[in-house]
This record gives sequence, C-alpha cells and structure tokens, in this order.
Amino acid sequence: MRLRRDKYHFQERGGFTVDATVKRGAEHLPFQRVPDPELCVVFLRQHIGPPNEPLVGPGDRVTEGQKIGDGEGHMCVPVHAPVTGRVTKIDTAYHPGLGAESEAVFIERASEEIPPLRLSRFDPDRLQDAEPDALVGAVREAGVVGLGGAGFPAHVKLSFRDKAEYLVINAKESDPNVACDVRLKQERPAELVAGIRAMARMLNVKECIFATRAQRGEFPELEERLRKAGVELAHIRPSYSVGSDKLLVKELLNVEVPCGAYPPDVGAVVHNVFTAYAVARGLYDGEPLTSRGITFISRYTGPRNLWVKVGTPMRHVLEHMGIPPDTVQRLVVASMLMGGAVPHADVPLVKATAAISAFDPQERSPYERERACIRCGYCNMVCPVSIYPVLIMEAEKRGQRGKLRRLHAEDCIDCGLCSYVCPSLIKLTGYLRRAMAEVKQG
Amino acid sequence: MREEPNLRYISELPPHVHSGITKDKVMLRTFLLMCIPALAALPAMGLSALAHIAIAIGTVLFCHYSLAYTELLSKGTTSYKSPCSPLVAGMIVGLSMPIAAPYYATVGVAALTMVVFKWLQGRLCGRKYLNPAAASKVLLLAALSIAAGLGTGMMFYPAHLRLDLWTAAGFDEVVAFYDGRSALSGALSLVLLKDHGWIGGASGLAVLVAGIGAVLWIRLKWRIVVSLLLTVGVLAAVMSLVTGGSMVDRLAFHLFTGSVIFMGFFMATEPQSTPLAEGGQYLFGTALGVGTFLLQQLNVLGGSIIVLVALNLVTPLIDTIGRRRPYGHGGVR
Repeated sequence: MRLRRDKYHFQERGGFTVDATVKRGAEHLPFQRVPDPELCVVFLRQHIGPPNEPLVGPGDRVTEGQKIGDGEGHMCVPVHAPVTGRVTKIDTAYHPGLGAESEAVFIERASEEIPPLRLSRFDPDRLQDAEPDALVGAVREAGVVGLGGAGFPAHVKLSFRDKAEYLVINAKESDPNVACDVRLKQERPAELVAGIRAMARMLNVKECIFATRAQRGEFPELEERLRKAGVELAHIRPSYSVGSDKLLVKELLNVEVPCGAYPPDVGAVVHNVFTAYAVARGLYDGEPLTSRGITFISRYTGPRNLWVKVGTPMRHVLEHMGIPPDTVQRLVVASMLMGGAVPHADVPLVKATAAISAFDPQERSPYERERACIRCGYCNMVCPVSIYPVLIMEAEKRGQRGKLRRLHAEDCIDCGLCSYVCPSLIKLTGYLRRAMAEVKQG
Repeated sequence: MREEPNLRYISELPPHVHSGITKDKVMLRTFLLMCIPALAALPAMGLSALAHIAIAIGTVLFCHYSLAYTELLSKGTTSYKSPCSPLVAGMIVGLSMPIAAPYYATVGVAALTMVVFKWLQGRLCGRKYLNPAAASKVLLLAALSIAAGLGTGMMFYPAHLRLDLWTAAGFDEVVAFYDGRSALSGALSLVLLKDHGWIGGASGLAVLVAGIGAVLWIRLKWRIVVSLLLTVGVLAAVMSLVTGGSMVDRLAFHLFTGSVIFMGFFMATEPQSTPLAEGGQYLFGTALGVGTFLLQQLNVLGGSIIVLVALNLVTPLIDTIGRRRPYGHGGVR
C-alpha cells in the first residue's frame, strides 16, 4: 500500500487515496475571462425545487442582469439574463445537472454595449442595521443557489435562523478536478469575508467556521480578514469525502446528521465558499448571479481557471480553449467522481457548474473493461457513510426492495468512491442510484 | 449554436476516473506475496516443494487456457483473458499441498480447483460460494479416503491418527517429532523452518510476513485472520493450562502449522466465499478457529479446510449480521 500524503492525494477510509494530481498547479493560475458567447441558453430551473416561469418571450429584448424567469414557490430561485440581447425562443435543451431536457431561454447576444442592470445594494458597513429578512430576500432576488454542485436555494438555507448555531463555509475543494475555490480565496478574499459576514447576520449564528484543507499561512490575506471578522479557521485533513455537507458537519462538530434530516436539523448550516462570494456580489454590488468561476481540464491545456457566463454552451468554452469540439469524446460537467458526461458540446453551463473536463478518444473510460465482482469488499471499506455498495448492487440486481431498505441504500451520498476503488471496474454508482430511487419510492 | 447537435459524445454515469487498482493488480500482488512462503519452503522441503508448486500452477494455467480456447471456439470471445487469477489459484493449491503428497494429488486438486470450483461454480451459481482450492482438496481427499483408506485421506500422514494431543505426554511426543528433525528446537522449527506438512507452512514466519504484507498491500480481510489466530491461540493456551506442558510449544504447534497460518492468511480470506460485514468476519474467523482447533485435537491435522468449506456454505447467512451502522443511524463512524 502506497501512502502518499500531499495536498493532491486525499486520504479516504480503508487506506484508499483519491488522486487529484490532475489539478496540480491550477491554484497558481488566475481566473481567465471567457468572452460572452453569441448565444446563451439559460435554464429556467437551476435550483433544487419547482421550475420557474419565463418572464420574457421570443423577440423580447433583454439587458444583462434582467430577471427573465421566476416562480411562486419558496424553493424557486429567479434566473437573470447573462448578456444583453434578444430572446430567440423558449425551448428545451439538455440540462447537465438534471441529465434531461429542461425549459430554457435562448438569448442572442447584441453587439451594442449597454450597462448591465443592477439590484438594490446594501452598505457593508451598515450590515447590522439591515433586517435579516431583507437580506435573505435580496439573496433570493440575486438568484443565488448553492454553488458547490447541488444548486440548493441559498435563501432557503439562510432562513434557518431558529435552528442555526453554526455557519460552516465549505472551502474544502475536495473534488479532484476543481481548483476554482482556491483561486477565489486567493483573488477575492475581501468579498468572500463580506459574504460570510452577511450570511452570519442572516442566520444569527453563535459561530462561523471556515473549513479548508489549506495549510496555515497559505492564504495570509484571507486568514487575516477571517480573523478580524471573528470567523474560526478550521484546517481539515485532505479528504474527498469530507467535502460532503453531512460528513463535514461530523468532522467539524462531531455530530451526525440523522438519516432523512439535513445539517440545519443539528444546528449547522453549510454553504459553499463560492456561494458566500455570490451573496456578497448580490448584496453589495447588486450583481445577480450570471457568471462564475470554473476549472477546465483537458490533457491539451492542463488545468485552467475560467470565469464564464451562466448559459454559455460548452462548445464556446472548448473553442476558447483552442480545443476543436469534434476532437473531444467525453465532456464531464462538475466533479469527475460525481458529474455526468453530457451528450454533446451544445450543453450550456448552469449556476452550479464548478468544472468541465474534456477527454479525447485516446483517454478511454477506465470502466470500459468491467469484470465480474470478486467481493473484495473495497467498496465497503471506502464508503464514507458505512453502507455496503456490493450488497446493495446484488439486491438491486435481484429486485429485493426490502433488502435494499435494510441495507440503507437511501443513505448513499453518491460520492462515487465505491466505483473509484472497485478492482473489477464496476460502476456501482448506477446500481446505487437505482436502489436509492427504489427505496425512496417506497 | 446549432439547432441539432451533429456531434455526439459518450454520455455516461460518473465516475470518470479510477484509482488504478485493478483485479489483475490485486492478483499479481497476491501472487508475489505468496512467493515469500514458497521461497521459504525450498531450504526446508527441497526441490520437491518447488515441483508441487510448479505442477499446480502449470495444471491450473493449462485448464485456464483450455477453457479460454473452448469459450473462444463456441462464443467467439472469452472471459478468460488474464492469467493472473489462475496464477494465484495455482500458487494456493501448490502451497496448500502436504509435501508428502504424490504429484498426481496436486494435479488432481489443481484441475478440480480450476474446472469445477472456479469455472463450473461460477457458471452455475453466479459466483464462488466455496473456496476453490479448499473445496477441491476436501473433495479429492474424501474420495481418496473412501478409495484408499483414511491413512491416505489424512493428507498422506497416517501417523497423525495415532497422536494424542489431549495429554501433556502425548503432546510432548508430537513436539519431539520436530525436535529430532533439525538443529532447531521443536517450537522454533514450527515457527521458522519445518520439513513436514503443508508446503506453504514450511516457514510460519514467512507466512506471517507475507500475510502482513497482504493486509497492507491488498487489504485482505484481516479481521478473519486476527479472530482465527486469537481463537486458536487462546484455546491452545487453555489446553496447555489444563493438560500441563509447555505453553510455547502448544502455541507454536497450533498456530504455526501450515493448515492454520497459511490457510488463515491466504485461503480463509478468499474474497468471494467469505463474509463482507465486519462483524461477520470476526464471527467467521472465530468459528473457523474453534473448528480448526477441535479437528487438530482429534488428529485431523490439516482439517481446517473442512471447517473452511463448511463455513463458506453459511457465509450468505453470516453476511446478514454484524454490519456497521450507517452514518446517521446512531452508529460510531
């Protein structure tokens, strides 16, 4: 067993290691702005919750920052035009987060320069005077969702004032191909801390914890600002699985989130570091969430940090990076361990997209040569939530729904580690997802 | 953007990266680790040990490629591509044979392992419920016992039937057998270098080193080994206290014979036929220890494989108990 202990090898249960060397060096590369595309495809649903209704129609002119979709429900989060231009149609397109077709607003970019629309702003120096409810409402209006990947409405999480004791900022950046969080800490520390302070005000928590795997002194400016703001800096062991909200709560507070509950139920509200930044931009600059930083990785370019408009087709990003889209065979959106590969290059980015990885035909999927399970138990050893993926796979294959319930298939956090360590190259993820769905259906 | 995308990518589920630990690598590592006791057997047991191992591996590989060729002829493709797993099976067969066994017995066990308990069992049951090498050996020795008498069936050591392990005097005779065979004392000979019994157990120490290497390098199911050795050790110590005599000798004899230490590390941990749940692994190892010790006391030395096969059969049941509590269910992570 090779014990590699450095910041690119994350230690998991069972003595396994997640190799994150693919992003080596990316933390030193500043964000590079990708020019606005000719056509933006903005999904009306970019959050967990019911879809929005379009507020514009074909032929309408829209200005950057203008709200173009919203809904009535508490879980709805509005979407805004990322560019100034004309709505060409409202149609369905492949949604990378849902893995299915979803309704979107197609906006053709105009050539003229018009100042973007901005929301009403708050004064960071008079934060204590602002009503928490007004701040929460402003976060919603800015279209902020959880930017760690799930897309949970940020304003909903920020409404747990009665339950929250701790605000945990997840800056673990434990996905093997995501480096944009590190850059954010490096480049925008002031906004980040301002966002955290606003979140703490909204939640009225007794303690703020900034969880990072960075070593002490790695981000001096950020550390100093956090110290001044009274935010505790928690240096967490380098581990991929601890990036999950529930496991991070366990790691930091030694409290388990009960099955079927969420971190706020045990007094902890967890937000991604990028969400804190988006909150700051929304509140203090009046800038709705229409762009974000991502990490792009391909073997031709290596890792790169990009700043991209939401709704930008992947094709545009590939071309900007000098990669002809027809030389790519697999395009993975989000984490290499958790994100799906999209069916074509015209799939647009959504708010929760943190990474894109392009693989050419020479970089074949390691899972192509699947073999019979040898029941080595590696998947059980590595599972961070202590379920038994191999037993779940066997029960799922046999359609034993009762057994799936006894095996707690619903507790899977979809981290992909079981497949990652499987010597037989079995993608257990698919079995586990089906098992979860079966258990949840009852 | 195009209305109809003309470029289709491979759309698939995550993950898209892998740790690089493949079945072949695990098998190759296992094989390399087993070379340690195999090499240790040479000075103790001579070239005959090497011949047994070579015959076992050769037979298994012959069967492997024959099956692959048959599959290729009938289906046009074969699932028998890599020889890594047969290599391990062959090595286990070779190391689990008693040095006194005739070569035809090794050929028989190796062929049964590959054809009946690996290939046929996999085809009929969907997976291997019985440890192939152990089941083959049990089957062949049972057949030999019926055909040629219990002496032959007793691993070709009929003298074992006359041993008396229930008294201090009887046990001292057993140790004296080892005392007289080399410059080493009985206990040291049992632990370091013996020319008797399983080839894989020629050096208990070498097995221990290889076994610890396997725990670290291939993550074998160490709970089974620990509980097996602890159980046998405790029972041996109790027996020594009850009957009198040297406890060191008792421990060396019961723990360091090949049928305990080699079987414990490299057969009882065979992944497919042993429990997955942690609690189940402890239970499995403990039951294996109790059964092995009792059979040793009853003079069925090397009988651990009978207990192993019996426990393999109840592994699906054992797998239903002793599971960890998942996160969020009040368990300790």
